[in-house]
Amino acid sequence: MTRLDPQPRERIDRSAELTFSYRGKPVTAFDGDTIGSALYASGVRVFSRSFKYHRRRGLLCCSGACPNCMMTVDGVPNVRVCAEPASAGAVVHPQNVLGSIDRDLLSIVDRIGRPFTPVGFYYRTMIRPRRLWPTYERFLRNVAGLGRIDRHGVRTTRYDTEHRRVDVLVVGGGASGLRAAREAAAGGERVLLADENPCAAPADGFDVVAPARALGIYEGGLVPVAAGTLLLRVRARRIVIATGAVEQPLVFPGNDLVGVMLPDGARRLVEDFALAPGDRAVVLAADDRALAVADVLRRAGVDVVASIDLRTDEPAKIEAAGRRGRLHGVTIDGAHHDCDLLVAAGTPQPAYSLLAQAGARVEYDTSRGVFCPTDLPPGIEAAGRVTGALGEVAPTRASHGGGFVCICEDVATKDLERALAEGFDSIELAKRYTTVTMGPCQGRLCHLSSIRLYARLQGAAEAAIGTTTARPPWAPVELGLLAGRSHEPAKRTALHARHEQAGAEIVWTGAWKRAHSYGDAAAEVRAVHEAAGVIDVSTLGKLLVTGPDAAAFLERLYPNRFADLKPGRVRYGVLSTDAGRIMDDGTVARLGEEQYYVTTTSTGSDSVHGWFEWWNASWGMDVEIVNLTGAVAAVNVAGPNARDLLAQATSADVSREALPYLAAREATVADVPCLILRIGFVGELGYELHFASPHAEHLWDTLVGLGATPFGLEAQRILRLEKQHIIVGQDTDSESNVLDAQMPWIVKFDKDDFVGKWALEHARARGPRELLVGFEMLDGVVPPEGSQVVREGRPGGRVTSARWSERLERGIGLAWVPPEHAREDAELEIRVDGRLEHARVRLQPFYDPDGSQLRT
Amino acid sequence: MSFLLPCPHCGPRDVNEFDYAGEVTTRPTGTPDVRELAGYVYFRRNVAGVQREWWHHRFGCDAWFLAERDTRTNEVLCTEVPAARARS
Amino acid sequence: MSELAFISPGAAPLVSPLARTLAGAAGIGDLSLLGKLEVRNADPGVLPDGASLIRISPERVLVLCPEGERAALKDVLPGFVVDLTAALAGIRVEGEPLLRRLTDLDLDRLPAAGKVAGVPALVTRDGERFDIFFAQEYGASVVELVRDVQEGLA
Repeated sequence: MTRLDPQPRERIDRSAELTFSYRGKPVTAFDGDTIGSALYASGVRVFSRSFKYHRRRGLLCCSGACPNCMMTVDGVPNVRVCAEPASAGAVVHPQNVLGSIDRDLLSIVDRIGRPFTPVGFYYRTMIRPRRLWPTYERFLRNVAGLGRIDRHGVRTTRYDTEHRRVDVLVVGGGASGLRAAREAAAGGERVLLADENPCAAPADGFDVVAPARALGIYEGGLVPVAAGTLLLRVRARRIVIATGAVEQPLVFPGNDLVGVMLPDGARRLVEDFALAPGDRAVVLAADDRALAVADVLRRAGVDVVASIDLRTDEPAKIEAAGRRGRLHGVTIDGAHHDCDLLVAAGTPQPAYSLLAQAGARVEYDTSRGVFCPTDLPPGIEAAGRVTGALGEVAPTRASHGGGFVCICEDVATKDLERALAEGFDSIELAKRYTTVTMGPCQGRLCHLSSIRLYARLQGAAEAAIGTTTARPPWAPVELGLLAGRSHEPAKRTALHARHEQAGAEIVWTGAWKRAHSYGDAAAEVRAVHEAAGVIDVSTLGKLLVTGPDAAAFLERLYPNRFADLKPGRVRYGVLSTDAGRIMDDGTVARLGEEQYYVTTTSTGSDSVHGWFEWWNASWGMDVEIVNLTGAVAAVNVAGPNARDLLAQATSADVSREALPYLAAREATVADVPCLILRIGFVGELGYELHFASPHAEHLWDTLVGLGATPFGLEAQRILRLEKQHIIVGQDTDSESNVLDAQMPWIVKFDKDDFVGKWALEHARARGPRELLVGFEMLDGVVPPEGSQVVREGRPGGRVTSARWSERLERGIGLAWVPPEHAREDAELEIRVDGRLEHARVRLQPFYDPDGSQLRT
Repeated sequence: MSFLLPCPHCGPRDVNEFDYAGEVTTRPTGTPDVRELAGYVYFRRNVAGVQREWWHHRFGCDAWFLAERDTRTNEVLCTEVPAARARS
Repeated sequence: MSELAFISPGAAPLVSPLARTLAGAAGIGDLSLLGKLEVRNADPGVLPDGASLIRISPERVLVLCPEGERAALKDVLPGFVVDLTAALAGIRVEGEPLLRRLTDLDLDRLPAAGKVAGVPALVTRDGERFDIFFAQEYGASVVELVRDVQEGLA
């Protein structure tokens, strides 16, 4: 079709042509065309098939509000081609059709399926026979929805997120929005204006982002603005909403035919793209701006056979007729007009949704027949037509004889009548039952008419019906844009490179990346038992607690006694809550009279640091707490040869006398100042070295060079299990207390007060409900963690840890069992793979029960 | 949730910079019985109105402070740093 | 009373926490080995040339200084002083557009403590130059994100 003569404000550049493909065939467009305008220019009139009935649909709004022009562009479904700029090489296809857009086999639903698919039919059909449910599901999944997603597609679009701070955010770049932006900028404020159309407006002292859509208004003046593949998180002191008013389709039989358009849609085709929307037109409108389209059409050479002002001459009945979905005439109160273009709209509805989200109220104005925002909260302003300043308007009829209320979801007036008859008499219920306003337009074109129709059907006032809750996002937005760059901050130790170089399998432990093993955990265990191994334990939480009240502070926090810990000694401690539950465990070393060095579990460092600070915020004791977790790296050298190995790296005296079990000494190892803690989590002679993290690689290389075998988490787990050393969070849960975990010596009940004292006293008086015990399997099975313990046919406990011990040649583990079964040698059955496997309770460590290896 | 919480040191910040640490409770004095202890450990007033609560500016200055916030509107009426601790 | 020598980097060979992750990166400077001393409950007073400070709260200040001057400065600073040189990594980057994709902090109100690249951080500004300090264990993670954002801006 030929274009009209050049229009004064046309958006096309007639000197620049480009080509894209539609249904496999080339389509020529001008630079500045949308895909929709170019298709229209090439003769396309049917742009889509409707959601439920697969009726033919054509251009209606030309502004991206309605669903009629949705197509798949370059594999991206649900693109509104009336707003999407044409680009060279784009591959465009219709969607939601079985067959072709001309012969959609699913239009059978419209032709003969209507009686079987009234509103809510899916609540009453496809129930029996039940064995056909998978079939019904497959069928429905195929016919529901609009566009298709490539299930095997990978993310190819990059989305970014950016933060902006402004004094004023203006949403809407029409006359009122621009005025508000200019005024604010002139007043020295930092202004950002967002408009959903590509903006040609000059920016006088303010920033413009366009095309961009504000998605919602959140607390604290936060407005996410979707600008293509960039999400702007805008914080504004003042938000001015100038989103205008949305033209509303009239409700009448045939109102969804191809050729029925909203006034602005027709205007844009002429003024933006120099296209005549038809040959013979009838115009029905309720405000001056819309009625003025009749002149625009006449200037474009369209024969306007009738132009009706609904404020003065509103008809009772309108009926549009068509053939194969295309309009050919309209009958208005008996008077017939042949036409191929019917421009029809009621009073425009202020686009108040963002204001409502921000907390404004919305009231029905009976003199104008629309809902207007009122009672704006502080920091929120409205300008222009969205306030209800629409010029001279009057309410129109809720319907002119039937037709579609919601063209997105194919909801007709009959459907609302039926919903009401079935008892869904509130608008929120009607919405959910009929799905009106739940389609792509999200109520822009149907919310008002559905409320007004409901009011009329019930003989109630619109104010009584009310509106449904406005929620973000205000415009459809891709999940990818909201997700942005997926990035989870990981913590890595200063030895991470060494683990990777050694071929370690790296795993997540909380936020940390750690070495699970270096290929053969059993060999690593053997190295620790027979020679010497070294493990990176830099992930341990480390807190310096120092000051005149340091001892008193720790006494109040821990069930343990630490006031009598001598400088140069270290002790194991278990932190409890006031509910008496185990929160964390670790070691406490005394470095000086007023100086303690506390270690925590790897995943507990932040929460224990917070715990200490929180309690002291109440107690106000004279103590400084410093989180040294990242500052200090740590490695544990363990094995019968550990002492000899260490002696080669330091000139300090590390003999058994100078550095006994549970000693804490500072010494220089490999020229690195260290704190050495002689403790034994893995059950062999061991030294935990703490030192400034930048020296980690040097110290590690030295120790490995002297013969220490690196061992990882898995080997550590096996070794500690042989000693029945618990891991908080693995062998304990949020209900476990230190008494039931079989460590009663930790609790010093004679202390005046400590966090958890009362609860532990109650627990001691009450007696345990279950106890944590070691067990060994009688045959070669290793039960998975979480396996159920069975005793005399009844469930009685669960396995928390289990491993195969090569040294002991059997499966070992820890489990919670009822107290009466927590006896040495008691027999247990453990459910594994549906079978009952046999085990025996062992209350002493499986390996080196008297600890002589540790203390050597 | 995106309201701005005024940190006493750093000023108004996105609430997601903070950890919420719950309603301010009163730790029992003396020796509570099981019922009183359970009340302290498990029960909260959970008011629909102004609540006194703990916050931790985890991503900022790391301070622990108190706030009074209307739980219906998320309006923060005031914040305060706990009384200065004893210092020698 | 321990001098806590084991928390301070000494004369032995050392590696910056960002050394490996910055290999091949352009536009990101490594400040990790700068001296960083936290001073509590006292005003640091007049600092020597080359040293600067970031105030975290009324009671806490982070003093930055060249690596070689750290030991001497630690001895003269008043109040409670702890050496956080090993605790914090630091980067230097250019440009507001980059920062706006890393943080929602008010870039006109720096220095400040807040969330940058998803982690707790301290940020200072000198014109278009931003210095960002954060826990060293997040080093690779932060650099990864900064490089990704640089790519998106390119």
